[in-house]
Amino acid sequence: MIENQLCITGIGTVSPFGPLQGLIARREIQPRMVNAWPVEGVRRAFLVEPFRPADVVPGLKTRRLDRLSVWCLVAAALAVRDARLNLEALDLEAEERSRIAVVLGTGFGCVELTESFFQGVCTYGYAQADPIIFPESLHNAPSSHVARILGLRGPNITLTHKGMSGEGALIQASALLRTGQADAVIVLAGDTLTRPIYEWLEAASVLSKSCFGATAPPQPFAPERDGFVPGEGVAAVVMESGRRAMARGAPIYAVFRAGFSSSNPEAAASVIRKALSASTPDEVGMVIASANGSRLLDDLERATLRKVFGDSTPIVTPKTVLGEFDGSGILRLVIALSWVKSKLPPLVLLLATSPGGACAAISCELR
Amino acid sequence: MDNRPAEVAITGIGVVSPFGIGFEALSAGLLECRSRLKPLTLFDSGWEPPPVVAEVAEIGELPEAARRSAFRLSRTDHFAVQAALGAVQAAQSSSDFHEAGGIIATTVAGLSEIDPAVAADPKRYYRDGGFSRVTSYQASHPAEAVGDWLGLHGPCWGVNMACASGGAAIALAAAAVMAGEVPMMLAGGSDALAPYTVSGFHSLQALDSDPCRPFDVNRKGLNLGEGAAVFVLETVEHARKRNAPILAILKGWAMTNDAFHQTAPDEQGRGMAQCMTLALAMARVLPDAVAYVNSHGTGTPLNDVAEVKAYETAFRDRKLPIPVSSTKSFIGHCLGAAGAIEAAITIASMRRAALFPTLSLTDPIETRAVDWLMGAPRLQPVPVGMSVSAGFGGSNACLIFELPEGLAES
Repeated sequence: MIENQLCITGIGTVSPFGPLQGLIARREIQPRMVNAWPVEGVRRAFLVEPFRPADVVPGLKTRRLDRLSVWCLVAAALAVRDARLNLEALDLEAEERSRIAVVLGTGFGCVELTESFFQGVCTYGYAQADPIIFPESLHNAPSSHVARILGLRGPNITLTHKGMSGEGALIQASALLRTGQADAVIVLAGDTLTRPIYEWLEAASVLSKSCFGATAPPQPFAPERDGFVPGEGVAAVVMESGRRAMARGAPIYAVFRAGFSSSNPEAAASVIRKALSASTPDEVGMVIASANGSRLLDDLERATLRKVFGDSTPIVTPKTVLGEFDGSGILRLVIALSWVKSKLPPLVLLLATSPGGACAAISCELR
Repeated sequence: MDNRPAEVAITGIGVVSPFGIGFEALSAGLLECRSRLKPLTLFDSGWEPPPVVAEVAEIGELPEAARRSAFRLSRTDHFAVQAALGAVQAAQSSSDFHEAGGIIATTVAGLSEIDPAVAADPKRYYRDGGFSRVTSYQASHPAEAVGDWLGLHGPCWGVNMACASGGAAIALAAAAVMAGEVPMMLAGGSDALAPYTVSGFHSLQALDSDPCRPFDVNRKGLNLGEGAAVFVLETVEHARKRNAPILAILKGWAMTNDAFHQTAPDEQGRGMAQCMTLALAMARVLPDAVAYVNSHGTGTPLNDVAEVKAYETAFRDRKLPIPVSSTKSFIGHCLGAAGAIEAAITIASMRRAALFPTLSLTDPIETRAVDWLMGAPRLQPVPVGMSVSAGFGGSNACLIFELPEGLAES
């Protein structure tokens, strides 16, 4: 009975495809030239094109906020609109406002303003640090702004689970709903790409050669793969019971079935089996992989998938168009929901593998 | 919330605090009424006189440090691992530990290790030795360090809800244990003093240049502290089955948001009051049954007034004023670790049957709702205690503990 299941009922994204409400129309995109900081030669990444937030969400004020906060505000507003949640109709004191939670998964948080804070310190010293920037550089600033702008008084959680941050946010949101601590959750995940992150990845020699030239990046799992292309973006979804969604006539994109994560490199296959719960691997129509073109991560993920599925299950690799960033999980799910072929069996598996072997898996049923 | 009463056993507590290493060192220091607030010596703040803070004097060597040397530990990570080791030892470790997960709160993480030069010229900074330092930047790093050190196989992740993080980590771990996702969880918070946070709070003019005076009408601001507290959580049934010592039972918890302002609390304390009310309802505890509240009590002008309003609302049906203190007057504000360390203090108060005071409180904010704890510790049974935390961004967390049967009557 869908009434009692957890459903994804609204989608908002800020990605290399632009700020969008609902599903993302399919088109192939290539990495863009980095021009936000001085570079020697060519540097490319999957970047979000600059846009005016108020053009997407009229009246939205975002001055002095970190880009992650801005994108979270835009994506959350779009997801709420998509889910036909009429928050403005609620009384400010309404009980319902404390029954809506916000959960954000991010690898680096407001790293852009953290860097700005440090730049100020380099120039003026610690004694003259910037009081506007400091509180806006905290990891939980984006989720707090979402709560403040939308008037949501429920639990407000920001978590970091490295490359599994998006999956972690979905799992935590489902826990809040299943334990009765919230009736609906705005679930967000994402990261921004900045100069210190890009140059750290460059120094670590993990980037594809295509980052430094005009060639197309090799496909994940391909024998000629040589590293990944960094990316950035945010996705927001509304998660709530089917009963609530149906009562409002909201769209239901997918049913969240189960999700688990583990730090044990030996346990990846069993995490997938737990996430599939009563279903068998044969029933899975598609695996949304986290493979990104790096030798280590792709090999680990392929080995895990072979253990559970053999070589038969269709695999999609959304990082081909999003690039690599820690909070990519929900965006990968949205890309897969948007581009899936209707002939496939409806059960999909969202998978994240970390280079250390930790793993998160979520099963969803497409609608 | 479903109809099952929440019965999460706390079977181990590990602490690193300005009183030293261990839960007992913390309890003893509070009972002896020793303030740990002193001028900063860890690093140069850039101004004179240096700010008043509470430092952890000796962090000590971790066992097997040489074997683990490949995993670079920041000061925050080190505190977290040391507290986790203490918690596991107290909980009389079982084989289930390998199936356990870890949720460690932090706001600083590895920021204490990173030089501002990383922002000016990252490439040069990495070339000059900064490459490995930034690996501890991410807020998940303390949790990963704990997981790596203890060989935890469950989910290990970091949580950041500003200064409510430590309490929230314990609440989230309790929910995971109650849901049966994992047999045991390690949860808490860890934060080191860092130039980033000291200068940040200085820029906001939130620091008191003297030892802080929470809830005093003459309060001027907060003092920063550092440390960590990590709890072992499991169901009461699981703890009893393995004959583990039960230090306290977590009966209820809640998290809310003010949805009001990025740095200021809701002036009426509505979010915090609602948080306490929800936690009381979950615990099935009447306001009259709460014997002690370990408050957030930062000593800043806005926070303390809003918090008093919250007590007036949440405990309005109580017959007697609610005993409240802020132990930040002993150890400063430990940010992401504060909620976890103060939860440990709440349990210390219950187990020692002693209400710890607010130091330097002489002229409290006027209210009929609160019984201000001042002067010497008040010795009396504390069967039920509450720990309240709040943070930037409007975050609130509340935990309610009860002594296990047999100890409550002593």
